[in-house]
Amino acid sequence: MPKKRILLIEDEADMVYALNLQLEAINCEVLSARDGQAGLDMARKEKPDLIILDLMLPKIDGYKICRLLKFDEKYKKIPIIMFTARAQEQDKKLGQEVGADAYITKPFDSKALLDKISALLKK
Amino acid sequence: MNKTTQIKQSKKMGFKELKDKYQLLRDLMDFIPDVIYFKDKQGRFIMVNQAHAKGLGVTPEALVGKTDFDLFPKNRARKMAQDDAHVMNTGKPIIDKVERATRPDGVDNYVSTTKIPRYDDKGRVIGLIGITRDITRRMQFERLRKDKLCVEKKLESLEELSAMKSEFISTVSHELRTPLAVIKGLVTIVFNEVVGQINHKQKEVLQKTLDNTERLKKIIDDLLDISRIERNTLKLHYSLVDIVDLIKDSEGFFIKLAEEKNICLKYVYPDEPVNVFIDADRVRQVIFNLISNAIKFTMDGGKIKVEVKILESKVRIGVIDTGIGISRADLSSIFNKFTQVSKLPGAENKGVGLGLSISKKLVERHKGEIWVESKAGVGSKFYFTLRRFYTLDMLGKSLRNKVSRLMKSGISMHFVSLLILNCGEFRKRMRISLDSLFKDLHAILVLVLKNAKYAGADKQAMSVINPRAGKFSIILPGASSRQAADISNLLKYKIKQYFASNKVEDVFITIGSLSYSQKVLSQDDGFSPSRFSIKEIYIGSEMRRFKRLSFKTNIKLYLPDEKVELSESVDVSEGGICLVIKHLLKTDSELKLSFAFPENKESIITAKVRVAWIKKIELLFGEPSEKYKVGLEFINLENRCKKIIRRRLLNKS
Repeated sequence: MPKKRILLIEDEADMVYALNLQLEAINCEVLSARDGQAGLDMARKEKPDLIILDLMLPKIDGYKICRLLKFDEKYKKIPIIMFTARAQEQDKKLGQEVGADAYITKPFDSKALLDKISALLKK
Repeated sequence: MNKTTQIKQSKKMGFKELKDKYQLLRDLMDFIPDVIYFKDKQGRFIMVNQAHAKGLGVTPEALVGKTDFDLFPKNRARKMAQDDAHVMNTGKPIIDKVERATRPDGVDNYVSTTKIPRYDDKGRVIGLIGITRDITRRMQFERLRKDKLCVEKKLESLEELSAMKSEFISTVSHELRTPLAVIKGLVTIVFNEVVGQINHKQKEVLQKTLDNTERLKKIIDDLLDISRIERNTLKLHYSLVDIVDLIKDSEGFFIKLAEEKNICLKYVYPDEPVNVFIDADRVRQVIFNLISNAIKFTMDGGKIKVEVKILESKVRIGVIDTGIGISRADLSSIFNKFTQVSKLPGAENKGVGLGLSISKKLVERHKGEIWVESKAGVGSKFYFTLRRFYTLDMLGKSLRNKVSRLMKSGISMHFVSLLILNCGEFRKRMRISLDSLFKDLHAILVLVLKNAKYAGADKQAMSVINPRAGKFSIILPGASSRQAADISNLLKYKIKQYFASNKVEDVFITIGSLSYSQKVLSQDDGFSPSRFSIKEIYIGSEMRRFKRLSFKTNIKLYLPDEKVELSESVDVSEGGICLVIKHLLKTDSELKLSFAFPENKESIITAKVRVAWIKKIELLFGEPSEKYKVGLEFINLENRCKKIIRRRLLNKS
């Protein structure tokens, strides 16, 4: 079975490192981008199986990227997990409005994240 | 007195007396600005005063027999008549009733009405007396006072909130430290293989973990710092430090950090040591903040320069980079709390935005200035100043040796250092050789020590005299602080007397004192005083103490494109001039200046100046423009101008 490809759009280097370790452990190929624009470009070019999207990014913010991808026929099928330290109700709601498939707050529970990823990848 | 008696009395009065009395009352009626009138029982005016008539634009006579209904709109007149009736029927006066009337131009006028019933000699009401006073001003004042109280209350509650917030931040930060400490401890245990071996990959993971706990620690520390600074509970621990040494200490660390990003980090120092009296840890914090910011915000391959420059009575430290710079819009709020500007990608550097605001507060606590010049895309220049501690190489080697010997034997000591700032000049004026001067001073010291009853087998005062350098250092082992203070005060007095007796009047002698509470001297010779105190006695002529004068005058500062005329307060010394302007200047830029002392307007002083330091003045509420206090150094001041300034400074003493 081909490896699932997951795109991380996250500017915090240590976080990318940590997620990378976890995702490789569940046999996924990891791509990463350090800012919003690069992330968007990579998503369109590579068409990953799943995207983990940080919200506080330089250049374009996460909500915008999510909306751009979800409202585009070509990319709307790619599941997007929003990943952020912001945990207010209005942030989560906004996430839903732009079409995110899941919303995980930092610091996060790795088991919860991995379960979510597996669930979304199975679809 | 009752009516009957009054009438009897008036019958007794002669014509002249009556006339005089009448004139008094007449004057009262005519000249008082209040409106006064008499009405009969039907509400008709019997008599009115000038003010009343003038207010209605008629003569007093014209109003006799008229009623309010003839003069005012029906509704208003009706109300007045009601009041009249009430007063006359019940016999109860209306006193100071406040009424509002809106003028045709929309402005509100307030009046105070007083109506008092009039009686005949049989006690029946025959009319009333009315006084109306314009109290518009009083009401305005009342309103202003109420507004002021309101604002004060709001201010109070805001201050309370602010205090609560600071306390909250402090409490929470402390709470955060505990679990953080636990995490750090546990991770370190695994990292150091205390609970078993770990492989390379595991070590890598744990290293990153520890790095992040450090980041967290810094954020918490910053939060605690800022809350302590705001609650004024931050204590500073001062000591005498050579700022060059302090900065050199961390050179290695920063150069290595800069190398990781391929940034060229250069340090520029003056040739001499620069002593400052500061809290070394806190100033180190400021330097750390500025240099690490410079590294953070400069791209790979960029350049950073750290420059220490000696100004007249200050030292200026600059951190200049070729980084991403700060946009005009962000520049004014760069030192504010929690401001973060757009960063380079690589968010490991995200802090919580407190560094610069803490640095600013720390510099200001040290009575220094901090400012920034920057252009987006070009780079930034951050500068801050500290006051110089005017002293030459305080502890010469011979002294240090003597002191360390004493320290090793566990004896505490006090130190009195006498520094003659312009001895060459003094001895010329007294026509004696330097050696004789110092011999005389030594004799004075011996006398003073005898009088202070300081001596003993183990307590021998040691002195080291260095006439060439104008220095005279005295070590008082085993002296109490009281003895040391007495000795230095007495010395100061006797020396002043000595100079006076030699016809040198304008000598100033000051005593400064410090105690060393931490390792300040060179690390190499193992000299680390744990506690000893130093009294510094400076002897110099009044003027050379870089005496400053403040006054108001017109100054013309020639900016690169236009003239600026200022008449703000000014502070002048032989070395430079300090003034308040509306323009923002560039540090180290050169300009022309001209001014004259107020009493001597014909002698105009022109000079070329260099911008040494800048301080932005906090705007008071309502002030529209930006104001800056700047320090300008004279460049090659003409002798003519030097003389004018010198003469003026001398006069002021």
